[in-house]
Amino acid sequence: MGETIISIQDLSKSFGDHQVLRKIDIDVKAGEVICIVGSSGSGKSTLLRCINKLERQTSGKVMYHGKEIRDAQREINEYRSRVGMVFQSFNLFNNLTVLENCMLCTRKVLHISKTEAYDRAIQHLKEVGMAPYIHAKPSQLSGGQKQRVAIARSLCMNPEVLLFDEPTSALDPEMVGEVLKVMKELATTGLTMIIVTHEMAFARDVSTRTIFMDQGYVAEDDAPANLFTNPKNPRTREFLKRYLAG
Amino acid sequence: MGILLTSTTTPSGSLGWMFFLAQKYSKMFLQGTWITLYIAVIGTIIGFVLGYVIGLIQDARIGAGDSILKRCFLRFVKIIATIYVEIFRDTPMIVQAMIIYYGLKTAGINLSANAAGILCTVLNTGAYMAETVRGGIGSIEMGQREGAWAMGMSPFKTMLYVVLPQAFKNIIPEMANTFLTNLKMTSVLNVIAVQELFMAAKTVGGNYYKYFESYLVIAVIYFVLCFAFNRIFILLEKRMKGKDDYALAVEFMEDKQ
Repeated sequence: MGETIISIQDLSKSFGDHQVLRKIDIDVKAGEVICIVGSSGSGKSTLLRCINKLERQTSGKVMYHGKEIRDAQREINEYRSRVGMVFQSFNLFNNLTVLENCMLCTRKVLHISKTEAYDRAIQHLKEVGMAPYIHAKPSQLSGGQKQRVAIARSLCMNPEVLLFDEPTSALDPEMVGEVLKVMKELATTGLTMIIVTHEMAFARDVSTRTIFMDQGYVAEDDAPANLFTNPKNPRTREFLKRYLAG
Repeated sequence: MGILLTSTTTPSGSLGWMFFLAQKYSKMFLQGTWITLYIAVIGTIIGFVLGYVIGLIQDARIGAGDSILKRCFLRFVKIIATIYVEIFRDTPMIVQAMIIYYGLKTAGINLSANAAGILCTVLNTGAYMAETVRGGIGSIEMGQREGAWAMGMSPFKTMLYVVLPQAFKNIIPEMANTFLTNLKMTSVLNVIAVQELFMAAKTVGGNYYKYFESYLVIAVIYFVLCFAFNRIFILLEKRMKGKDDYALAVEFMEDKQ
């Protein structure tokens, strides 16, 4: 594993009186594929949104290459352009075609040339098998197709880290397969990924490290081989039993 | 009654009088139609721009990382915008017209009646459009913004390239509505002596004491104008919808799929 890219230090988040994240400490190293699992409401998604600064933490820090990301909009924009995010609800731009979706941010944020943006878009759309659909609008695609486009769109920014917020939770089982396949291929390229997921088999097979979250805490943080066979925390054991027993 | 006696044929019945007045004063009615259209179109277009600006100001959020100067400025502008919208939504346009025209006169600014009429229409439209724009922006789900933000796009660019184009499409029917309302509301501008359609009818009607027939003439004109514009807007909206299908990019077809 390489150097530490993102370091989350003592991070807490509350919505009013409700504390969602409690003193989270996680270091993310280059090349790691981290899966975050846990029951709904355990704070997984909020953690991911805090990493991307879509939520503002109540206390603690998010460090990127040893530098704290502060609240200044400019600093946040710069940081986000290097840390991509894929959402549960895809969030493709409804007013633009697949191709335009993949070119907008490279053009307007990275300011690369039109031809380069086009080449990048086609390259990544080919990787996810969506190149033939460049002229389609998001509303004309299936959920699985949308998510694959969303992944390609994020890849166009050449991110250092890619965050996935339950990327398959809104999809039917068949579509889950096609998206997980794309993510598996991505994992082999050495891209650093943090994935919040309910797909236990995927987490076990693909992640280099699995984090189990419970009630806002990191309950367990271990290699999947250990976490899925011999969990130390009783809550982890209980949670995984429910998922793996059947 | 002297005029009546000099005309060769005396019109009979209301319909007859309508045609007679429309013919005899066609120049006046045309002039009125032109000014009505002119004020409604110019006033609405500038009003829309104003509405978008005010709507965006009202929607703008103060970020946690903003400097104290930016925060104060934004808060100040937001308060001004709110006061403006409230005042113009909570008073009748006819009163606004009087106050703008005579108020400016008192302040030593001499605006022509037409200019004051346009200004009144602009300010009125702006206030209503601001609310429409705010609603239009609100109708676009948060995920659209987050998708852009998550790739490092600034809130301003996100608004420009992602949110506004979608919001615009959603509020086209409301914009058409506003324009039609304006077309009819210009009639109140006769109180500051704008020579629009209503004023024309009032003048013409007064000449023969045939108010009913005279107003019938402009009722028809208003109706035809609004009807025509309405059809145009419906057509425009259909155009904006775009194609229902898309062409597969066959050149990429043999790739893994």
